[in-house]
Amino acid sequence: MTGNDATENEVFRALADPNRRALLSILGEGAQPVTALAGRFEISQPAVSQHLKVLREAGLVSERKAGRNRIYALEAGPLALAAEWLERHMDFWASRFDNLGRHLRDKHGKDA
Amino acid sequence: MARTLRFEGLYPYPPEQVWTALTDPAALADWLMPNDFAPALGHLFTFRTKPAPGFDGIVQCEVIELEEPARLAYSWKGGGLDTIVRYTLAAEGANTRLVMEQSGFTGLKGFMVSKLLGRGWKRMIHERLPAAAGRVADGRYTPDPDAPASQCHS
Repeated sequence: MTGNDATENEVFRALADPNRRALLSILGEGAQPVTALAGRFEISQPAVSQHLKVLREAGLVSERKAGRNRIYALEAGPLALAAEWLERHMDFWASRFDNLGRHLRDKHGKDA
Repeated sequence: MARTLRFEGLYPYPPEQVWTALTDPAALADWLMPNDFAPALGHLFTFRTKPAPGFDGIVQCEVIELEEPARLAYSWKGGGLDTIVRYTLAAEGANTRLVMEQSGFTGLKGFMVSKLLGRGWKRMIHERLPAAAGRVADGRYTPDPDAPASQCHS
């Protein structure tokens, strides 16, 4: 998260669009062919394909061919990195507020 | 999108005592990090901790709100963050409700913060984020999905 701003920006750009976020949410339920994905959107299938391309370029989804279908699947790597950062950051604050409770208890002698 | 992290705790001490813990440099060093804080508007100070990859261990701060014993805010810059940390204290009987809000996250970090309390995203990051949220929610530090802070920042 701290060392690769280019990737981070690409991922963020991919996530900035509500249709692309919706695609990721749907793919979070499992891999899907593009035709099934398109059926859940009011935008055209080429538009859905274009959004999938942006997501693929950001590394957020992968594509494989199955017969005449293209199956898309969620690739959680970039988001997992961001989640790890957030987890560490929240752990930091949670532990510091535990410290604050201990500090007050040590100083004023009551149970927090 | 909400881009504010919120921690809330109820401490069995009056606001004046909690305020001292937030504004006395030695007290602050005891629970947060070594620092050269001073309770003065515009005061520039740093927190210093162990460096980590992508973070030199220094947080640059400036006091921007100071309202004893109810409200304190300072900028919080370092490790790729350019944020604001704000504490509000309110007496509840003999106790103090302390709320800390860190706001101003941008980019993917901001996105993750904004989605922390959202639904439907939990599975997509393979349970990592809910695990983090669950730990924080367990005990006194309960992110409040209905709090104004989680709705009014974008």
